[in-house]
Amino acid sequence: MKILLLEDDESTSAHIVRTLNAAGHTVDTCTNGQDALFLAGSGTHTVLIFDRMVKGVDGLSTLKALRVMGVRTPALFLTAMDGVMDRVEGLEAGGDDYLIKPFATVELLARVNALARRAPIAEVNHVLRVADLELDRMRRAVCRAGRRVELQPQEYKLLEFLMLHAGQMVTRAMLLESVWSFHFDPGTNIIESHMSRLRGKVDRGFDQELIQTVRGVGYRLDA
Amino acid sequence: MLDERRRSRALSSGAFRFALLLSGLFASGSALLLWTVQHQINHYATEATNALLRNESAALAGEYRTEGVGALVDAIAQRKAAPGGPFEYLVLDRAGRRLAGDLPMSASMAGWRTGFVQDPGGQPEEARFLGVTLPQGGLLVVATDAFDIRRMRDRLEAFTLASGVLISLAALIGGGLAGRLFVARLDRINRSIDLIMAGGSAERLPAIGVGPEFDDLVHNLNRMLDRNVAAMEGLRQVSTAIAHDLRTPLSRLKQHLEGMRNPAQRQPVAIDQAVDQIDDVLHTFQALLRIGMLEGGVGRQRFSSVDLAEVMERVCQAYEPVAEDQGFRLTVDHVDHAMVTGDRDLLTQLFSNLIENVLTHTPPGTLIASSLTVSDGVAVAVIADDGPGIDEEDREHVFERFYRADGARATPGAGLGLSLVAAIAELHGGQCRLLPTMRGVAVEMKLPIAGSAEST
Repeated sequence: MKILLLEDDESTSAHIVRTLNAAGHTVDTCTNGQDALFLAGSGTHTVLIFDRMVKGVDGLSTLKALRVMGVRTPALFLTAMDGVMDRVEGLEAGGDDYLIKPFATVELLARVNALARRAPIAEVNHVLRVADLELDRMRRAVCRAGRRVELQPQEYKLLEFLMLHAGQMVTRAMLLESVWSFHFDPGTNIIESHMSRLRGKVDRGFDQELIQTVRGVGYRLDA
Repeated sequence: MLDERRRSRALSSGAFRFALLLSGLFASGSALLLWTVQHQINHYATEATNALLRNESAALAGEYRTEGVGALVDAIAQRKAAPGGPFEYLVLDRAGRRLAGDLPMSASMAGWRTGFVQDPGGQPEEARFLGVTLPQGGLLVVATDAFDIRRMRDRLEAFTLASGVLISLAALIGGGLAGRLFVARLDRINRSIDLIMAGGSAERLPAIGVGPEFDDLVHNLNRMLDRNVAAMEGLRQVSTAIAHDLRTPLSRLKQHLEGMRNPAQRQPVAIDQAVDQIDDVLHTFQALLRIGMLEGGVGRQRFSSVDLAEVMERVCQAYEPVAEDQGFRLTVDHVDHAMVTGDRDLLTQLFSNLIENVLTHTPPGTLIASSLTVSDGVAVAVIADDGPGIDEEDREHVFERFYRADGARATPGAGLGLSLVAAIAELHGGQCRLLPTMRGVAVEMKLPIAGSAEST
């Protein structure tokens, strides 16, 4: 896919481009808000990655302007501004995700993929399916191979998030944010305990393990 | 030399200038007063003299009308014979010849006039004249001197001048003295400030002692100094702690990287370990930045209505399986709702840190009890455990940055968790403290219920 990167630090920019290229993406780069506005205005990009603090027009104002112009391309803020307020501001300005520097490259890839695959709300199918696993979002019911699986509310949320991003890598931070609203890194690996319970209910006793661990990064739900 | 300088500084001091201004004001005030009083007295005295002259001339004219000119002359002679009479007279007949009286001929004029007469010593004396035309064409002039009025005026003038000069002088001297006093006292203060700036952090400003308001000022300045010294000391401790705490992971990282110069050691595991160590360092920095920002009051702008019960419920649910897996027991006793004003994310982190703290510092099997109650418009959240507890001497330090009780040295963490808790609580206007417990640790956080201030 084609990604637009707004980043004025050369070495960071080069690093991100290398990472994204290696993952098979094409990257347009620019170092100031005006160029980003022009390039993103073309609407040919799948995802925008904006640094907030760049010379001239900053990333936040640029994205605000783009949203006003009607450009709906999913955008990720990549920034060292890590305050709660900063994040809220970013999301209010029309950002879809927020990643704080320093970041792990896998984390960036996972989030970019998640943004790219984000389905428009109207098209969301209320039944999610991966192999023989089914999740009905209306009835909040889960079945595996036709058998009902009883899940705790948090396990349900966890599975729902994994299924919405089926086939993609999902990081621990993404899960913490979406399931528990933890916008920080707790010292303990909370996810692991929840995931093992979820696996116990969804995967145990079946031929195929759908929830896979990506070592050091997170998880992937795949057939 | 020094005395010379001090004197000149006293003269240019604020107190002296103020005295100068005051004495100037006083001098112009007394001049105005003098002028007004003189004017009034003059007016009054002239009126009184005029009345006297009018009465006297009317009496004499009456004498003339009823008894004739001879009676008039007799009457004047009689009055002159009485010693100490205030009047001088002149009576002229129709042809202008003097019939009686001692006034010079120059006084022969009808109507009011002010002029001079000879006093008994032969000196000219200011006098008031009234000339009245007699019915048969003669002229009667009565005069009286204005000596008393003038004397009174002179005395008043002298008195006002003298007292004006004296008071102005006193004000000037007083101002100069006050100026010297202030300069001397402020010199002491300035010397203390020099000492403090030269690094004497224990030095404090001496009392000025002139009035309570100045001593209040000095007291407040000293309090400010105390606070700054404490803050500086804290900063020094924190920088030392940062340097110390980061040296360990960084030197370990360096060893790792040096080891990787050898291709045989360039294992993915080794790289992962190196990355983990960097993550630890970054984690510490992030926590420090956060605490710094929270202590600076950043984040309060985003406050909104938050249900503390929801926050604690969510955190407890997140940790329940973790606690179970690690052999802890987690009990929850929360009220249904406790609306407070705050930041949901920060409050989440606060309770997460408190539970993490127990998980890190107590052995498996420990009971973690989370409770939330509301009383008198205050939400009281307590995270308690029945673990080994905290030593008495460590209790007062646990909320300090980088503080780690001796027993906790071996466990992971940088000693920032509870500082972050304290910083978040303070940002929310809440109180965080350790409850006295028989065993284990109980951290209590109190937050005012939103809107309760209006209702009570």
